[in-house]
Amino acid sequence: MKYSNSITKALLLAVSVGAAGAALAHHSFAQFDSSVQIFIEGRVASWSYTNPHSWLYIEALDEKGELQKWGFEGAAPIHAARQGVTGNTFKVGEKVKVIVSPIREEGRRAGTVCFVVKEDASIARPNDGTCDSIESIERWKSKGWLDSAKHLDKHPTAD
Amino acid sequence: MKIYRTLGAIALGIVIAAGMSAPAMAQDVDPALAARLAEFKPMPPPPVEALAKEFKSAEDHYQYLLQQAKGGTKHTAATLPNWEGLWTPGPNTIAQTFLDGGKFSGTGTLRAGAGPVKKGVLTPPYEKQFMERRAEVDKAGQQVFDRLTRCEFPAMPRWLWEPYGKEFSHSPKQTWMMNDFMNETRRVYINGKHVNVDGKHSATGDSIGFWDKDKLIIWTKWINPADFTRGAPLTSNKIEMVETWRQVQGAKGARQLVTQVTIYDPIALVKPVSLVYSHDYRPDLEELGVRIRNWECSNSSNSYLGPDGKTHVYLPGDSQYKDALGTTDFPELPGQSMDPFNETAK
Repeated sequence: MKYSNSITKALLLAVSVGAAGAALAHHSFAQFDSSVQIFIEGRVASWSYTNPHSWLYIEALDEKGELQKWGFEGAAPIHAARQGVTGNTFKVGEKVKVIVSPIREEGRRAGTVCFVVKEDASIARPNDGTCDSIESIERWKSKGWLDSAKHLDKHPTAD
Repeated sequence: MKIYRTLGAIALGIVIAAGMSAPAMAQDVDPALAARLAEFKPMPPPPVEALAKEFKSAEDHYQYLLQQAKGGTKHTAATLPNWEGLWTPGPNTIAQTFLDGGKFSGTGTLRAGAGPVKKGVLTPPYEKQFMERRAEVDKAGQQVFDRLTRCEFPAMPRWLWEPYGKEFSHSPKQTWMMNDFMNETRRVYINGKHVNVDGKHSATGDSIGFWDKDKLIIWTKWINPADFTRGAPLTSNKIEMVETWRQVQGAKGARQLVTQVTIYDPIALVKPVSLVYSHDYRPDLEELGVRIRNWECSNSSNSYLGPDGKTHVYLPGDSQYKDALGTTDFPELPGQSMDPFNETAK
């Protein structure tokens, strides 16, 4: 279902001018490096909208060009729901561009999701409290990274 | 649709004025509802109420309130207050209670840099542990491991804050307080006496209570040692709590549950502390279809405590990995997938 762009802008504004605080995770997110964000392109393998945390799994190429399964942790359903994300937001097989803070363990294909650009260029925010997705979306747009980013590009979360 | 266009135009004007370029947000919910979800702000709770006097114990406190209420109001099913609906926790005073300059952050945890430990509130061993915890939080950005990772119950008093969905149901003999988190349900036995045939403590302890008109007063004891929240102090196995719950009406049909709590914990606290917690009624989440479901921690959580004392996660390909969308123990049979819409299990 498509809705007018002006409404989505109203939504973004409402969020950006100070809505409820970010969500609390069920566990520590200190294992993810929130100082950087990586741009990963792939196709949805599964979307697990489960308590205590949602997980978005995608199939994407690794540094060697081999197709691998990547896992990105997100908010609990009730917190994702507050951000307009439901169990129906991602469909298996759809193309997505995922902006994540990577796990601190070398060679592990995982992270915590901040926001997701869908094939129609709309943006979903299944993030937990570790990432301020509104701020990150604006940062990636203002830096021109969303237009220019290539698979596995990495950017700092602050100047 | 006209109101949508008007709202959108107003928002667009502000967006442009603010120099922002807004991306289209992916929505599979009605945009007007999505806007209400985004705009929601919890009602600020009232301040912590001063106690009428100092009490030696939770029991003294509870008996005083019972006496003040002349034995309590004997409600029938027809006269009980109505706390129906889906609720989420709002602001509380944990940070103010234990940190100098501490403020409610909205995230539930006591964040890095939230303030120095308030001296003289906790007993020396608990204050020392809390200072070590705060040093860890300030260094790593957050507490590096939380006991809830092991699918533990939040337990009391953490139950009062965990920011998930809650429901409340009253009968003349019991009140049920149901939490999305771990499906942890508190049962308050109205006009009951404490009993412990289990011979042990539990996460939510044993709660008895009485009504004073529209106020519910609860005394809880026999609680497992736990904590106030992540990044906050620990509690001991001698903790007891006296709570006073009351529903207040806000503007435009808003409803809030205010909980005044006094914690008695002679092992962890120099003297009893009083805090206020709150919950807000969420018709927006109800409209979206949010309902309390089963808490799937045991078959979906892949986070674990590593040998380095930090939180780690199992991923697909790891032998310990649990696929929440996998199959039962009988994958060879048709219809055993946990993901019948997509059948993604491999």
